[in-house]
Amino acid sequence: MMYWVRHVTAYAYEQPVDLAAHVLHLKPRALAGQRVVRASIRCLPAPDHVTETHDHFGNAATRIYLARPHTQFEVTAEALVAVDYAPPPEAAWTLPWEQVAALAAAGGAHAQASEFAFGSTQAPALAAAGEYMRPSFTPGRPILAALLDLLGRMARDFTFQAGVTGVSTPVAEVLRLRRGVCQDFTHLMLAGMRAFGLPGRYVSGYIRTRPPPGQQRRRGADQSHAWVGAWLGPEHGWVDLDPTNNIIVKDEHVTVAWGRDFSDVSPLRGVILGGGAHRLQVSVDLEPEQTG
Amino acid sequence: MLDEMVDGGRQIRPHWRSLIGAIGGLGKPQLEERAQRLELAAEEDGAASMLPGGRDAASWRCDPVPLPITAQEFAALEAGLAQRARLMEALLADLYGPQDVLREGLVPPVLVHGNPTFLRPLRHGLNPPRRPLLHLYSAELIRCADGIWRVATDRTGLVSGLGVAQENRRLMGQAMPEAFRAVKPRSLSTFTDLWQDALQRLGPGGGVPAIALLTPGHSSPHWFEHVVLSREINAALVEPGDLTVRGGALFLKTLSGLQPVDVLVSRVEPDALDPLEFPGADAAAGVPGLLDAARHARLTVVNAPGAALVESPGFMAFTPALCRYLLGEEPLLEELPTRCMPAGSGPPEGPGPWLLRPAMDGVAGGVLRSRADWQPLSEQAGGWAVTDWQEPSAAPCFSGKGLSPMPIALRMFALHFEGGWHAMPGGMARVLEPGAQYAGRLSGGGWSKDVWVLAEDEAPILGPGPQSLPALPIRRNAGALPSRVADNLFWLGRYVERLDRSSRLVRATLSRLRRGRPMPREMAELNALARCLLEAGLIEAEAMPSGAATTGLSASIGRAARPDGAVGQLQARIAGMTGLVRDRLTGDMHATFTQSLRAARAAAETTGPGLEDLSRAMVANLRFASAVAGVASENMVRGGAWLFLELGRRLERAQAVLAEIGLVLDVPPARVEASLRLILELCDSVITYRSRYLSVLQPAPVLDLVLADPSNPRGLAFQLAAMQSALAEVAGVPADALADEAASLRQGAEALIHDVLAARDQSLAATALPSRLSAMADALGALSDAITRRYFALLPAQRVLTLDSEEAAEVTRA
Repeated sequence: MMYWVRHVTAYAYEQPVDLAAHVLHLKPRALAGQRVVRASIRCLPAPDHVTETHDHFGNAATRIYLARPHTQFEVTAEALVAVDYAPPPEAAWTLPWEQVAALAAAGGAHAQASEFAFGSTQAPALAAAGEYMRPSFTPGRPILAALLDLLGRMARDFTFQAGVTGVSTPVAEVLRLRRGVCQDFTHLMLAGMRAFGLPGRYVSGYIRTRPPPGQQRRRGADQSHAWVGAWLGPEHGWVDLDPTNNIIVKDEHVTVAWGRDFSDVSPLRGVILGGGAHRLQVSVDLEPEQTG
Repeated sequence: MLDEMVDGGRQIRPHWRSLIGAIGGLGKPQLEERAQRLELAAEEDGAASMLPGGRDAASWRCDPVPLPITAQEFAALEAGLAQRARLMEALLADLYGPQDVLREGLVPPVLVHGNPTFLRPLRHGLNPPRRPLLHLYSAELIRCADGIWRVATDRTGLVSGLGVAQENRRLMGQAMPEAFRAVKPRSLSTFTDLWQDALQRLGPGGGVPAIALLTPGHSSPHWFEHVVLSREINAALVEPGDLTVRGGALFLKTLSGLQPVDVLVSRVEPDALDPLEFPGADAAAGVPGLLDAARHARLTVVNAPGAALVESPGFMAFTPALCRYLLGEEPLLEELPTRCMPAGSGPPEGPGPWLLRPAMDGVAGGVLRSRADWQPLSEQAGGWAVTDWQEPSAAPCFSGKGLSPMPIALRMFALHFEGGWHAMPGGMARVLEPGAQYAGRLSGGGWSKDVWVLAEDEAPILGPGPQSLPALPIRRNAGALPSRVADNLFWLGRYVERLDRSSRLVRATLSRLRRGRPMPREMAELNALARCLLEAGLIEAEAMPSGAATTGLSASIGRAARPDGAVGQLQARIAGMTGLVRDRLTGDMHATFTQSLRAARAAAETTGPGLEDLSRAMVANLRFASAVAGVASENMVRGGAWLFLELGRRLERAQAVLAEIGLVLDVPPARVEASLRLILELCDSVITYRSRYLSVLQPAPVLDLVLADPSNPRGLAFQLAAMQSALAEVAGVPADALADEAASLRQGAEALIHDVLAARDQSLAATALPSRLSAMADALGALSDAITRRYFALLPAQRVLTLDSEEAAEVTRA
């Protein structure tokens, strides 16, 4: 599946901003199941200085610096991406979840996966989240079976509702409210997995805006989306699960970046001098590209 | 417990003999006196002097008996230290690079991936990190009963203690000359020279790099060390607020614009360096883009941010294996055996005691636990590092009771230079006082010893000669004075002058109150003085004299002079400001400032309720102000620092002269003569007037002397002329708008005198002046604001911009 992505973020400031520095995670990663044909980022006003690096997790990070007063700031990220994720393994054939946790704790050859078993600021290893997960994680259950069961329970127990949570709402609060958005459900699931010592990563990206014919519109479209990458052990590696839509990631998602939680991969984060109050507008389009 | 000085046969060890002979030869009273001298020296121009206000804050004190180390022993320690530094560097390069040691299972993942000091923004991408990551390394060792020094703590982050070691050596030179005659310790200056050379070579481009030492500021417990070190290595002492990143490079905000910084010796916790990279950091504190500048080799930061990772005590459990894997060498230096243990663990093998430290917190204090009082280890992220502890060796230390052996820990330092590691031929020995817990962190104070590496006859000269650098261009301008420092000096000048002025007003009032029942003429003067005191915020409105009753006035002045009163608060503010500009004052200047200020504060504290006592306290303030003026005039280069101190003083005095003359002249024309007399007194111009005009008091000559005569240092015109030339100097051009403003105020003063002189009734003209004087005071206030805007760059606080619009709305509402 070939997708055309367009992600626009626009700030309007009440007073001029004298100096600004922004970190952008807006260029999709190249992956085994994802080919980035082209990707670009445009800024208005044009930055005075730009740097491009890859971060610790291998994501592309763009840093831009504005040294002249401005009252508006707009970033447009566009990309053409071909996605075709490998089908997930048969759930029953995956390792018992306890064994995955033991492999992660041992580190060694799997040290890179085990990094994601440790709690982070926004997705700590939270005992309460583990308790919620417990019924799905019966002893010896294959890990993917347990995770899919969890996904189904989350879809029943939690309500997708924008506006009740913010960027910094703690997961314990999400667990209590039983509602939130994709970011909250992702953090909550990660917090539970980490309570069991299971590696899980926060994946940031997009989901297609219009559903395939005959299907329901997905939640989390029109904006940045987030889901969970779960490590199933050395044989099957990582499989992505979307708790907001109760689906395994296959060909409706485009991956931009991953980290331990949102703060590692925030699409846009800045430090500004001046500016006063600001208004923010975000729009995302992910449309299938007609090939030919 | 091993004794450093005495061997098992109760004999003094050979390398202690001449030293202890020289020290013992002094006798106890002399030694007592030397110990006091060391403490006094620290107080006058050393660590304690950083705290001009009080002495209660912790500071380092130096023991009069140094710790000698033989050349042979030092050579072995240096080789071990150098190897361990190479190991730390290799370990850091791996952990911030390919992470092979994790893949090989040599280190448990939690020590790295679960470690808050593993800074992911420093591990960038697919590129290996810039080497070296480590520039300075320090280890703390204890000597065990078997005579072997073993490492107890590694320091790879903010390596502190170097400044204390340097300062100890300097103080010992002053207080213990006999000891230096008896034995010859190797000089520390070779190490400092080498450090300077090393920094010079760290510049990202060619040429002479600009070096700055970054400090969290005056409130840091290590502030003193930062001041000492910045001088030792000739680095500008800067705070995060002084810096900005433009076009991908780091700059210092100075009076003459942005000056590049190429090498940053950072003493700020790395996660507070750059709010762009660390979401949890205080957005207002750091420098956005600083790490990105370092990442792209536009700037060198030492030690590399994130280097503190490997000082986590948990790594000590794996260092021998890491040394073999990363260096292919057997460790030369032993460490105290350490293992990592999870929460809930029982005691390890052996009788103990053990030193318990959180495995991932290199600075938390340790606790000693024996097998008998072992309790299951508490919950701790990453578990505990449990170290076999031994009683450290003891060295003779001087306390009031004489010399007695005390346990010590030896802190050594090593520097990376041209691919190799060099140990400082010395260090600091911490005296572990009874009851104190051993902790890795060096606090802001304690008891320490100078460490003497005994020189052999041919002590080798350390390192190669200095790098040949291009010749520096001659500079005579104020150049790189950071705006913040200029701001502080300006306000120091203003406060010192305000204290002087307040004390003069109070003294003039007291001299009249002390005469008992005042005559009507004196009552008029008291009323005028009370108006001035009220305007200066020294008394309350209710204290204004009514009729002939002055008891309210006396009581109110008494309150103002107390330590918590208006005058006392002024003293406290000056003390604070003096601390803030400490790095701009020489030792002598600083000693003069602090000693005379302490005397003035002591006078305020001990003052009784009597008017006599109050008067004496005011005189102490005046002495302080003239000491500052004298030091500023005789010891300060006429550059940026002096100019801003001068500007502050002159501006404050000019404002006070205008305010007081205006208030005193606010009388009916018939009473003008008393006002003129008071004006001359307040402006300290009685004698000058008398010598010019004898005893005839007339408005025009009096006002000319205090307002328009440029030769009277207590008059207005003198202040304006001084401001005019200082402003032109700071601006670097003769035709400066601010300097012109000062000049036009001077012309206004001339015009005033001209009008009074031309008036048919001078008294009438003089008493009509207050409104014009008040307009001039407003113009002066506007000039002060203009100076602030131009030079002190009051920028709004920087803040984080997220994708959460709700949060932004909250910020705006707050």
